[in-house]
Amino acid sequence: MSDEAKPASGDLAGLPNSLVAHGDIRTRRVYEAARSLHSGAVKDLLSLGVCERCTFRLVVVEAFDSDFSSVAASTLRSWLETGDDETGSSEPSCSRVCIVCLGVLQFVFSDAKETVVKSDSSSDYAARITDLVKQDGHVFDSFALEVSVPSTVTENERAVLSHLKVKYSTEAWLQSEKTSVKDALKVLVLDPLRASLGAKSDSSSFAIRLTYSKASDEAQGASETTHERKKRKTDEENGSNCRSENSFEKVYEPCVLSVHCNMMPIFFSGRYFKYSRNVSQSRWIIDDERMGESSVEEIIGGNILPACLGDSYKFHAAGREDIDVRMLGSGRPFLIEVQNSRQCPSQQLLTEIEEKINNSEKKLVGVKDLRFIGSQCWAMMREGEAEKQKQYAALVWISRPLEDTDFNSISSLKELKILQKTPIRVLHRRSPLERERTIHWMKVEKIKGNSNYFLLHLCTQAGTYIKEFVHGDLGRTSPSMGSILGCRAEIIQLDVTDVKMGDS
Amino acid sequence: MEIQKTEVLENPEVEAIIELTKQNQSEEVEHCDELQVAEEGEKPRDEDEDELRNLLLSDIGDLPISPPSATQVNFVSYFITDFTKSGHDQYIYRHPNGLCVIGLAPTHIAFKDEGGITNIDFNVGKSDRSVLKVSGKRKKNAMRSESNTALCKVSTANDSYIVRCCVKGSLLEVNERLIKQPHLLNSSADREGYIAIIMPRPADWTKNKESLMTLEEYKEKKGVSL
Repeated sequence: MSDEAKPASGDLAGLPNSLVAHGDIRTRRVYEAARSLHSGAVKDLLSLGVCERCTFRLVVVEAFDSDFSSVAASTLRSWLETGDDETGSSEPSCSRVCIVCLGVLQFVFSDAKETVVKSDSSSDYAARITDLVKQDGHVFDSFALEVSVPSTVTENERAVLSHLKVKYSTEAWLQSEKTSVKDALKVLVLDPLRASLGAKSDSSSFAIRLTYSKASDEAQGASETTHERKKRKTDEENGSNCRSENSFEKVYEPCVLSVHCNMMPIFFSGRYFKYSRNVSQSRWIIDDERMGESSVEEIIGGNILPACLGDSYKFHAAGREDIDVRMLGSGRPFLIEVQNSRQCPSQQLLTEIEEKINNSEKKLVGVKDLRFIGSQCWAMMREGEAEKQKQYAALVWISRPLEDTDFNSISSLKELKILQKTPIRVLHRRSPLERERTIHWMKVEKIKGNSNYFLLHLCTQAGTYIKEFVHGDLGRTSPSMGSILGCRAEIIQLDVTDVKMGDS
Repeated sequence: MEIQKTEVLENPEVEAIIELTKQNQSEEVEHCDELQVAEEGEKPRDEDEDELRNLLLSDIGDLPISPPSATQVNFVSYFITDFTKSGHDQYIYRHPNGLCVIGLAPTHIAFKDEGGITNIDFNVGKSDRSVLKVSGKRKKNAMRSESNTALCKVSTANDSYIVRCCVKGSLLEVNERLIKQPHLLNSSADREGYIAIIMPRPADWTKNKESLMTLEEYKEKKGVSL
C-alpha cells in the first residue's frame, strides 16, 4: 500500500495546500466533497472497518462517479480523517479488508493460486484485469463489462446502514439513494479498462464478466450470523435496539476474482453437397454406435470450429435428406453457429476451408459460397423452408416393361395432388396424419438396355415423401407411381437435384 | 436438334426419342423427352446440367432383374402358424423403429376357399377397429391389445375366420381400404392387403418374439417356396 507521502499517479499529495495550488478540477471536487461529509459518521464507519471508498459512497449525497477513479484510497482516507484523530488506527486498517465490499472497491483480490493481489490505482487494477482477459485469447474491439459480487456484500451494506440509522436517523444524507458496490466498481474501472484493452465499451457482442466470490465461509463481514440474528430479534422484542459494534466481524481475506469472457455466437452460411450414400446430415448415434461413415455437420463444423477457436458449434440446414440420398445440383443452404469464438476467420481462410473440404480424398461432402453472415442469417434459412419446391431424380424399377404410352401418362400429370399417410418408417415418432402434397411435374428418362428401370425426374412441394410416392407405402400413399402405371414400383435410389430458394 | 419447351407442352402426345445436342459421356442412357433450355447465354447452365447428369448416371451400377421389394429391404419378416386355430397363418413385418405390420400369410386357410376372400369386417370384439382415432406423437387413444385380441373377421363364400393381433401392443391403424376393396387380400396380402399396424413396447416385443418364426423356418414348416 502506498504511503501518504508518495503521490499516486495522476493525483495530488494529501496536503490541502498543494491541492489548492495545483488543483485538478475533478480531484478538487472529490476533496471538497470529502471534507463536507458528516465527520461523525465517517469516523464510525472507518473504525468499524469499512474502506474509504465505501465510506464515501455510503455517506455522500451525490452520486459516486468516475472522478473518483483517479484518487488513491490512501489519499481519500487522509481527506476523510481530520487532523487530530488518532492516526495510529490508520496503518493497520489500511491492510484490513473492508467489511462491506470485501475488497472489491479496495482493488484487492485473491487470484486462482490464492495469492492476494493489491493495486494502488484504478489503472493498475485495470492492468491486472487486462492480463486475465488476455489469457482467454479473444480478439475484440468493443466490450460490455459485467460484474457479479457475492450476495453477502448487499447484506453487509444493509447491516452497516441500519447501524448508521440507529445513530443518525434524522440526517438527510442517510436518505439519499446509495450507489451500489457493482455500479461503483464499474465507474472506477471502466475508463482505465478501456484504455488498457484498447477497446470501446458498449452493449456489444462481447462481454467481460468479473466474478467476485467469497474467499471462505467465515469471511462474512458485517452481515449477521444466524445466531446473531436471533439474538437481535429477541433484543428488539425486549426493547433494546442497538447493535453493538463488536458484532461486526473482521474480514481477513478479500474476494476471489475470476474473469470470464464470452463472445456472442457468430454465423457462417453456405450451400452443401452430399455425394455419399453413407453420410448422414447430422451426427447420428444409436446405442453408442455411429450410423453411417460421417456426417455433413461434422465435416463442415469440424473444419470451421478450429479456425474460430470457438467452444462448440451448431449446424442448421434448410431441410434435410436421408442418409442414403445424395444432395446434388445447387446444394442445400446451411448455417454454422459458433459459440464463444476467439477470432473471426477472414474470407480468405474460409475459402481455403471450402477448398480443403472439396478437395478431400474421400469426397463425401462439398461446400459452396462459404462466408460469414450477420443477423440476416435466419431470414435466409426461412427462405428454404416450407413453401419452396424441391427437385429430385429417382431410379425406379417397375414389374413390367416400360411402354411408350407411359412417358406421356406421367409427364402429362401437372400439379398432381397426392395424399400421404404418415410413412411407416417415421410413424413411431410423428403424428398419424394424412397430408396432402403436390407433385408439380414429372419426367421419365429411359435407361438404355433395360426396360424395367427408368430415371424419374420430379419437382414436388416441400414435405413430400418421395420414396413413399414411388413404392406406395403399402397403399398408404395414393396415387403412387405404381398405381399410376398399374404395376408394382420400387425405388432403388434417390438424389436431390435442386433446393429452390427465393431468388434462384 | 433442339425442341423448345413450349412445343413439348402443347403436344403431349408427341413423345419422341430426342437426341441431345451435346453427346453425353455415359453411353448407357438415351435421353428422351427432356427439358430443353433456351440458347443464348445459358451455356454455363448446360454444363452444370451435364455435370449433374454425369453424377446421376455414374452411380447406376449393375441393375438386377428383380430387385428386393421395399418391404423386404425395410422390414424383418416373422411368421406365426396355426395361431389359436389350425390354418390361421399370419405374418408380422417388423420395422427397425419397432412398428409391426400384421397380415395374412400366403398359407392362410382362408385362401383355400373357392373365390377367395369376399368380405372383411372390423367390428369384432367390443368395438369397431376401423373407427379408431389415434392422434399425436404419443399415439393417444390407441387401443391396447394383447396378442389374441381380435382385429377383424374375413369371410369367404364358405366360412369366416378371425384374424388376431399376434403381437401385444398399441393398435395404431387398420387398413380401412380393405372394407371397400377386400380383393386386395387375395391379390397382395403382403403389401396393399395388410391388415393392421401395431406398436409394441420393447419389453413386450422381446417376449413375443420367442413365439414367432423366421421366413426360413416358415418356408420349411409349410413346404412352400416364396
